[in-house]
Amino acid sequence: MPTLQFSSLSEFLQMGGVYTFHIWTVYLLFAIFIGYNLIQPRMARQQFIREQKRRAARDAELATKPRES
Amino acid sequence: MWLWFSKLGSPRWFYELSSKWLPWLYAAMIVLMAIGLFWALLIVPEDYQQGQTIRIMYVHVPVASISLACFPLMAVAGTITLVWKMKLADMVAKSVAPIGAWFTGLALASGAIWGDQIWGTWWAWDARLTSLLIQFFLFIGVIALRSAIESQDAAAKACAVLAIVGAINVPIIKYSVEWWNTLHQPASSFSIDPVAPNPPEVWVPLLIMISAVYVFFVIALILRTRNEILQRERRSQWVIDLVSKEKSV
Amino acid sequence: MKPHRRKKLGIIIFIAAGLSTAIGLSLYALSNNIDLFFTPTQVAAGEVTPGQRIRVGGMVKEGSVEHSQEILEVSFVTTDYNHDVLIKYAGILPDLFREGQGIVAEGAMSADGTFVASRVLAKHDENYMSVEVKAALDAAGTTPGMPQGVLQ
Repeated sequence: MPTLQFSSLSEFLQMGGVYTFHIWTVYLLFAIFIGYNLIQPRMARQQFIREQKRRAARDAELATKPRES
Repeated sequence: MWLWFSKLGSPRWFYELSSKWLPWLYAAMIVLMAIGLFWALLIVPEDYQQGQTIRIMYVHVPVASISLACFPLMAVAGTITLVWKMKLADMVAKSVAPIGAWFTGLALASGAIWGDQIWGTWWAWDARLTSLLIQFFLFIGVIALRSAIESQDAAAKACAVLAIVGAINVPIIKYSVEWWNTLHQPASSFSIDPVAPNPPEVWVPLLIMISAVYVFFVIALILRTRNEILQRERRSQWVIDLVSKEKSV
Repeated sequence: MKPHRRKKLGIIIFIAAGLSTAIGLSLYALSNNIDLFFTPTQVAAGEVTPGQRIRVGGMVKEGSVEHSQEILEVSFVTTDYNHDVLIKYAGILPDLFREGQGIVAEGAMSADGTFVASRVLAKHDENYMSVEVKAALDAAGTTPGMPQGVLQ
């Protein structure tokens, strides 16, 4: 039966002491990697929608405005 | 079959279908990632040689193995672009490149951190490490090439050619540990026997992490491809309608 | 498939196959330079000139590790089970260094046939298992074979 390898939170964070920094750095990089690749496309999409809305509004304004000559 | 093929090539069709897929993919990713991380960080027992450092493997191996899938995928998409001129294929090819660079970069970084602890050096110019570094630069090269060529069609063709040529590096990376002597260890063969090297308690969580990262890869690729579709089809009516339905942000 | 598409696909496959062959052949030709280290057998065959900076890789022979009392120097024999190389090294050894472990040493052969290392790296094999499983295997006397990586 699988058992937990650590009996307390501090023991878990320590990861056996010697390897703490190496192990947690890898998992931190993994979190950044996942986060960036999910959030960046969502922000790019919102940016695109914003731009297109602005363009549509400007086009609509140009279309209704009587031409000055 | 040909109808299906040309339908699949329609960006709008892909956009609408992927909208239905995404919630399921997110759900699958969260479940797999939660189980995989919990198992890898808390349940996997200490290794007899490397102790707790074995936990690095549960990030390094999934990321590195999926990084090897990116170039073949880009090469297939490139071939479709060159031969059938399918629009969607080039959008996928363009979206894979930065994701592949991220995967390869993290594979290199996590490997270097592990090596610093276990080998006593974070880098060695052995065949495995060097060929993976070359793959990283190839991804950067593909991205740079695309941004350097103004014409979208010409850029698509040039990147397709580079992707096909660059894919030759993938078997070299994979078999480098067998063809030459390297600092990097060869691939492990997994055992079903619980009392043997590489027993299930080691590889079952690894398999879960690989599936979790695979689902993540598919999500990241779909998100980027969808953005690319919107960008390139921004003048068509369905995108204009879609934008007008979106809430202002 | 339309003829012009078949022709294009043919050209792509032809170029890819040609490039693969060219790269494959050059890698084969460069094989010795791509190898990270020399094996003790290669050293014994005289492929190494003394004084030249190289790497030697093999297993640390059981019972061969000797720590010097006065200075921080260690000597050990590395082997590929055909030939041995005696290595002298003054410096910090990696955590994984021990008898029976694969290692890669950087340095040069001296005239008397010992290898003077300036750095020693540990190789990790492809076997992962818990302390308990390892103990059970040792008790049953079915310890896995030595890592093949160093013997190539």
